[in-house]
Amino acid sequence: MSLADVHISHEPGALVARLVGEVDMSNAEELGATVIGATPNQARGVVLDLTQVDYLDSAGIYVIHGMRASLQARGQLLVLVIPPDSPVYDTLRLSGAERPGEVVEELDAGLAALEASASEDA
Amino acid sequence: MGEPSATRTQTPRLGPGQVALEPADPIAQAPEQVRTSYRFSDPALSELPLDQLLDELLNRTQEALGVDTVAILLLDTDAQQLVARAAKGIEEEVERGVRVPIGRGFAGRIAAERVAIFIADVDHADIRNPILREKGIRSLLGVPLIVEGHLVGVMHVGSLSPRVFGPNDLAVLQLAAARTAPAIERASLAARLEHEHNVSVTLQRSLLPKRLGDFVGVSLASRYLPASEEVGGDWYDVIELPRGRVGLVIGDVVGHGVPAASLMGRLRTALHAYAIESYGPGRTLELVDRFVHSLNEPAMATAAYAVFDPYSSTVQYAAAGHLPPVVISADGARVVDVTPAPPLGAFPYGRCPEHEFPVDSGEIVFLYTDGLVERRGTPLSDGIEALAEAVRGASSPEEACLAAVADLVPVEGLRDDVAIVALQNSPVPSELHLRLPAEPRTLAQVRRILRRWLVERGGEEADVAEVTIAVSEACANAIEHAYSPAAASFELDAWGDNGDITVVVRDAGQWRAPRGENRGRGLSIIAAAMDDLQVERLPTGTEVVMRRRLPRP
Repeated sequence: MSLADVHISHEPGALVARLVGEVDMSNAEELGATVIGATPNQARGVVLDLTQVDYLDSAGIYVIHGMRASLQARGQLLVLVIPPDSPVYDTLRLSGAERPGEVVEELDAGLAALEASASEDA
Repeated sequence: MGEPSATRTQTPRLGPGQVALEPADPIAQAPEQVRTSYRFSDPALSELPLDQLLDELLNRTQEALGVDTVAILLLDTDAQQLVARAAKGIEEEVERGVRVPIGRGFAGRIAAERVAIFIADVDHADIRNPILREKGIRSLLGVPLIVEGHLVGVMHVGSLSPRVFGPNDLAVLQLAAARTAPAIERASLAARLEHEHNVSVTLQRSLLPKRLGDFVGVSLASRYLPASEEVGGDWYDVIELPRGRVGLVIGDVVGHGVPAASLMGRLRTALHAYAIESYGPGRTLELVDRFVHSLNEPAMATAAYAVFDPYSSTVQYAAAGHLPPVVISADGARVVDVTPAPPLGAFPYGRCPEHEFPVDSGEIVFLYTDGLVERRGTPLSDGIEALAEAVRGASSPEEACLAAVADLVPVEGLRDDVAIVALQNSPVPSELHLRLPAEPRTLAQVRRILRRWLVERGGEEADVAEVTIAVSEACANAIEHAYSPAAASFELDAWGDNGDITVVVRDAGQWRAPRGENRGRGLSIIAAAMDDLQVERLPTGTEVVMRRRLPRP
């Protein structure tokens, strides 16, 4: 049984990937590859919704950094949805490292952020 | 007498050299034949198993008729052939598995026409079986084996010297045949039933879980007991669910034998598939109910699905026509009052309500099928009360299964099959001493047991989360160190009192400096989450010692 599921939906110009469950070294790379593999070239970027992630450790952070780099290479953006009281928020706080992408608190804000980047370009 | 008579209303179709025989009038039998007839009606024969009986009948036939060969061929209905089953003097028939098509040759013709056939001279007759010629048989006499109007085979005798078999010989052979045919029929019926029983037992066994799996914080036991007569469609299942939850399934397909076992397999699969999608117990059973209706065949089953959450020590429960669960505690056992929905397959679009009940630390939830509690002439509620009485105070799921089976399964065997699955909310020990496989999938299990342990040690939600991530990071390090076969496992010890806890993660691998950003990040997470962190590089391996106050001041 996988520790986490990834639910993917295609919004106009964006791919929304919602992770549910726990992310550690047993599944982080696979989850990252699934999201990157599902992202169409014409999308502005990816909104990675981590609201329903119960656990995420350094292996998860590492993979998110990798996702950001992959998307960047394709001229695409990574926006993370992380509410302030969530387990993922705690991990980022403990790691003390730089944030692996733009962070918003809600999904709508994530979509708006991608929209904004599109209009900046226009 | 002497010459073969042919007084039949309908002349059988015979091959060249074959003569149809009519038996002698039994009343006209000479007194010496009374002894002969006794040879075949000897009551002692009834006690023999089929192989010995056939052997004995062949011997007695050979003796009574003074013939050189005797053979019994049985009808293979599907192939429409006769198969050699037992023989004297022509054992090769059986050894080579001789098969004769119905309607052809000597034995085939006897079977097709259901008449006795005498062949005076094998050389000039229609003989299909080369062994008869090879053995140098000159004359043959054969009769059909018939039970209640059904042909079951052919029995024939042969002589190496030319011989005219007369009506008296025929009468003796028919006596032997009359004794042989029903025994064969009974034995093949028994073999068929045995075969079906074996198929369904094998099927049933293959459809049940091979092992219950390892779950942190719970212990499990299960039983499947087939009925003495026939296998049924009872099943159980244990399902690993996200966030440390464990699903328990029990079910009972209405019916018996291979069809019930086969439907059981499909229902178990369907339920398991919906369950791992994290549908709750009620929704899962509703979906399985739809599945049953979609089969378009008469299918009915009862089932219960319980989801145990080790963090809240509660069970979410739903049942479709199934008997109520029993919760066993240290000082007793209680039947949980739950209202089941109708059985699966009973009414389309049924709703299945969910119930929640506590299963506290040390308690056992016990699910079972009706075969365990149903006794003829006794109300079902009495049986359930007897079960609660039998299992009260059991200290483990295994003990509960043993007690239930010992007290409730009658010595004469079960009339219906029984499935049991039991789960205990295992008490968390005050200290952890774990040896764990150095595999990534171990991490989730470590987190599960550690979270429960931390809650018991007085950790607040935030403490639990922080210590859990720190220890999981240390374990991830140990797993990455395990790059030699000797380091296939690592150890985790945890103890603590007065709000101070210590967790040690020890591996047998060589320390290597954190590679890249990622592992460095892991170490900084541990340092931030714990009050004290020491990494000891020993000749035997690496030891990470972590300390922390609970709750953190």
